[in-house]
Amino acid sequence: MLEIRQFYILALLISFTFSASGATNQTNEIKLSFIGNYDSQAFLGVKQGIDEANIQGQFLGQSYVLITSPKSSIAIFTTLDAKHIAQLSRTYPNKLIFNLVAEDNDLRFQCFDNVLHIIPSRAMIKDAENQWQKKNPNSAAKAQAWHHTFVKYAAGQLNTRFTQSYKNKMTDTAWAGWASVKLLSDSIARNQFNDNTSLLQFIKTELVFDGQKGISLNFRDTGQLRQPLLLIENENIAGEAPVLGIVDSGDLDSLGLRQCPK
Amino acid sequence: MKLTNTAILLAVFFTQTVFAQSTGRVFVTNERSNTVSVINGTTHQVEATIDIGERPRGIGISPDGSEVYVAISNENKIAVFDPKSLKVLRKFNVGEDPEAFAVHPNGNIYISNEASAKAAVINPRNGVIVAEIPVGLEPEGVAISPDGKRVIITSESTNMLHIVAVPEHKIIHNILVGARPRAATFNHDGKFSYATAEIGGEVIKVNMKTGQIVKRISLGDDKAKPKDILLSKDGKKLYVAGGRLNQVMVLDSESLELIKGIPVGKRVWGLAMSKDGKRIYSSNGVSSDVSIIDTVNNIVIATTKVGEFPWGIVIDD
Repeated sequence: MLEIRQFYILALLISFTFSASGATNQTNEIKLSFIGNYDSQAFLGVKQGIDEANIQGQFLGQSYVLITSPKSSIAIFTTLDAKHIAQLSRTYPNKLIFNLVAEDNDLRFQCFDNVLHIIPSRAMIKDAENQWQKKNPNSAAKAQAWHHTFVKYAAGQLNTRFTQSYKNKMTDTAWAGWASVKLLSDSIARNQFNDNTSLLQFIKTELVFDGQKGISLNFRDTGQLRQPLLLIENENIAGEAPVLGIVDSGDLDSLGLRQCPK
Repeated sequence: MKLTNTAILLAVFFTQTVFAQSTGRVFVTNERSNTVSVINGTTHQVEATIDIGERPRGIGISPDGSEVYVAISNENKIAVFDPKSLKVLRKFNVGEDPEAFAVHPNGNIYISNEASAKAAVINPRNGVIVAEIPVGLEPEGVAISPDGKRVIITSESTNMLHIVAVPEHKIIHNILVGARPRAATFNHDGKFSYATAEIGGEVIKVNMKTGQIVKRISLGDDKAKPKDILLSKDGKKLYVAGGRLNQVMVLDSESLELIKGIPVGKRVWGLAMSKDGKRIYSSNGVSSDVSIIDTVNNIVIATTKVGEFPWGIVIDD
């Protein structure tokens, strides 16, 4: 707990300029918080996500702000490790907690109600690499969620926006940060949620999320975001998983733990 | 005598001043080949290929049929060519990465600037930007109502249709739709519009007065990633380019129920309909061809090879 408190103290207040336009005058402020490493790619991704959520929000009377106190926020985005994510889940049972970095399979096995894993698990990465090697025995390509050279499915546009904002190439954890805010704001834009429980329920069961990977993304009951992965070799995209020819290219459940252990 | 003179004058007026004699040609932009394929509307054969510029995508024709416009994405320009002589007449600068656009009955071009979250209104005669309208992220599809008073811009990443009033160029409705809305079209009296959401796999119908969605359906197949959408001449059917489903889907415009899937080439995105409503042309990006559909029987009557990654289609008829 001590370590987590220290992160609160480290937390910075970042306000985003927001100009209302269009038909609506009332602005509904949606408070988000971040716990972890502010020098991380993941944090830049969260900021990019908030900027873009506010472009949508200006048409809907919604404004997204990052605040220091997790207590007053509806969602916590974190770069903490598995042990601390477990603590966060218990400390804030009514908040949505977005895991942006921790790949631990155990975290998925534990099936926390309120933790959403945006970054792929190690098992997903391993399965993707195994599928790839069945087809390409000599390739040592590594699987990851995102790559800065990804162009298809409007990925190129997201990479360009991120690089323009932060003079950085978008990594997989930066994508996870961006995707977390995007799927949260997409959900809030579409529905009037009275409480976090119904928001979480919607995200886990009804979400149709465009993560700029060319296919609609949603969650497993483990809290893991189902998603295709990229196979990277020599800093280039060699392929995508699920690997066509080995499994059905649409079978996202061929990667990682399908569901919570019964 | 007087009547005859008037008739002759009118004939001269219509044929020479207002409407250039149409060529019947079908023009297709080829995103990878940097060309426009010119298809003869009668023989369905490619009769010429125009070198147009790097990564041509959106294509449109002026209301009088005298000029064809092509968005040259990698040059940030629109190229103008003559549909008769096929000569490139000029190019003018537009915003970054121009993609889809539509030509207003008054001659102005409404174009989405995907990189800058704006739609721009450009006078193609002098290249002057008449207006800029801030919209959502990754704006793409543009549709103009039959009376020219409303324009729909779809923003793909913000998941919205923005309804813009003309000539005020103010947004009057922002409508949240399914994930990644790509294209829209109006019905013939402009009271309703239809749009596709690519990642959501949806088609929706919107009441233009209230800005409310009155009907939405899921196409129900994961491969159905709908893009272009057109309404039949009689207003009863919708034609939807089904993406990697490799079909043009025919829907009932009232119920939005699927009537038929017409198998076409691979990854179908672009659609265009002849003025008489009898033919629909689809651009099939991955198979590098154009399918020509007879709308009476809803079957493909010809397939024409074009350049690589055909994208947009316009008919000079």
